[in-house]
Amino acid sequence: MIALGPLAVAFAVFVAAIAAVLILWWGANPGRGRAPAVSERTPWTGGREPQVHAWNRYHARYYPMALVFLAFDMEMVFMYPWAVVFRSEGLIAMVEMGMFITILLLGVLYAWRERALEWV
Amino acid sequence: MGLKSRIAGFAAAGPVPVFVVAGAGMRAMVQDVQLDPHVRIVDTPRAAALLLIAGSTNHADVQALARLHDILPHPRATVTWRTHDPFVALGGAGAATAVEEDDPVPTLRAVFRDILTGGRASEPAILPDVDAVEWRGIGPYGQGGSGMTGGTPYGRPMAELGPDRDGLRLDILPVSLGPFFPRLPSGLVLTAKLSGDVMTEVAVTTPGVLPSRPGSASPFIRALSGPVAIAELELARACDHLRWLSDALMAQGLPALGRRALRLAHEVRPGDGDRVRAFGARLSRSGLYRWSLPRAGLVEAGRFSGLGLGPIARAAGVAEDVRLEDEGYRALGFEIVVMRRGDPVGWWQVRIEEAARSLDLAARAAGRKTTLVGRVESPRGRLEPGDSPTNRALALVPELLSGLEWGDALTTLIGLDLDLDEAASVMDSGELRATA
Repeated sequence: MIALGPLAVAFAVFVAAIAAVLILWWGANPGRGRAPAVSERTPWTGGREPQVHAWNRYHARYYPMALVFLAFDMEMVFMYPWAVVFRSEGLIAMVEMGMFITILLLGVLYAWRERALEWV
Repeated sequence: MGLKSRIAGFAAAGPVPVFVVAGAGMRAMVQDVQLDPHVRIVDTPRAAALLLIAGSTNHADVQALARLHDILPHPRATVTWRTHDPFVALGGAGAATAVEEDDPVPTLRAVFRDILTGGRASEPAILPDVDAVEWRGIGPYGQGGSGMTGGTPYGRPMAELGPDRDGLRLDILPVSLGPFFPRLPSGLVLTAKLSGDVMTEVAVTTPGVLPSRPGSASPFIRALSGPVAIAELELARACDHLRWLSDALMAQGLPALGRRALRLAHEVRPGDGDRVRAFGARLSRSGLYRWSLPRAGLVEAGRFSGLGLGPIARAAGVAEDVRLEDEGYRALGFEIVVMRRGDPVGWWQVRIEEAARSLDLAARAAGRKTTLVGRVESPRGRLEPGDSPTNRALALVPELLSGLEWGDALTTLIGLDLDLDEAASVMDSGELRATA
């Protein structure tokens, strides 16, 4: 029973959280039980009826972001050997990694400014 | 008091989410509502509880207004402010509350409280809740046919294919923004084809016949027919630029700075040029010009030459200003602001500097009046009877917006500072040219 104590508490918290979410959802939706009307289901762009359906294939232009991610991800690999020698090297290792991260951060800011992080 | 009404009371004490339709002559008054912390003007009707219709709207847009009304989530209500729109006669929302006072906020709060606490029923839909066309495919169970999952969903065809900027053939989505798109003048409809988020084949239309617009109070309209005090004109110009700046900042998602610009528009007096410059320097330091404003949409000076487009032409290096022809201004040593930067950043910077110089000029003007009659430099450019800078700017919209990304296109459009009230005020017949 003692062993089950923390589990029972966790389960009770879980059930209480689910109940709270359901109550808030129910309380925050005054239109519950009513199907959305046609006008509520229609995309709104200022008052005109849409001419075509909103399902639309467009090019997710994620490749610059993927390249930027790969570049920064690979640079993070250098943190593994650094972590191994960090205790023995001390403050100097901390400063060097700080400089390294700062240079990377500048690179991220540059990519952001060049709009490489925009998707479509 | 039950728990439900107690919670409703708490909710009613918060800011009222309002979607606003700013009709004829009500742009500035609607803008001022944003200074009240009890009201939150939202950008989509789905986030609003109340629909505020301020001033008259075009009769042709009544169907769009009804659609706007019906898209608000329940519980909802309509408040009309200084208007008796035909919208009310459509039947469904006959219970709209009318306000005639200068400040609609007390009424908005009272109506909001009523619909939350159950003192007033949510307004029913105006339009019938019937699909224009049933969604049905060609198969015996409604399945199959053309389109992503077959059939023609609710009578709307799927988007057509077209080339995109990456050399692929993808869907081209036709969209029309307006006549009640937030941040755009009421009645203006922008149609474009979206390839991803790049705009192509842009066209803009304005209402054919505008309702009467009380524009005669503007000193710029009065200056067309007789001398007006330069101090009054320049103070009005500075306020107009600051009001535009407030709108543009709100559109950039910077409401606190937008409200600060609006407060500045209310507070500035002749000689306060440095206050405006300090605010401009603050914007510059915030990195807004570098990070938020589009660097696309650069316009050659020659394209604006002779069009009398005021600040946006002067930002591109065109040294045109009707004030240079006026003896009254020349005697005051008036100098125009010219930059060599034909993009929205330049438009912002020129307007801010012009607002500052106008306040300085107003302080020096004493009792001096304009001498030129029949044409005047409005905050948007050369204004003449029968012709307005808004009309001329509208003709440039397709060219300026084509090829821009969605956000950049809207920022550019807002940067043009289109004013349909001013345009209608100088039209003889009350008709505004519909522009391609």
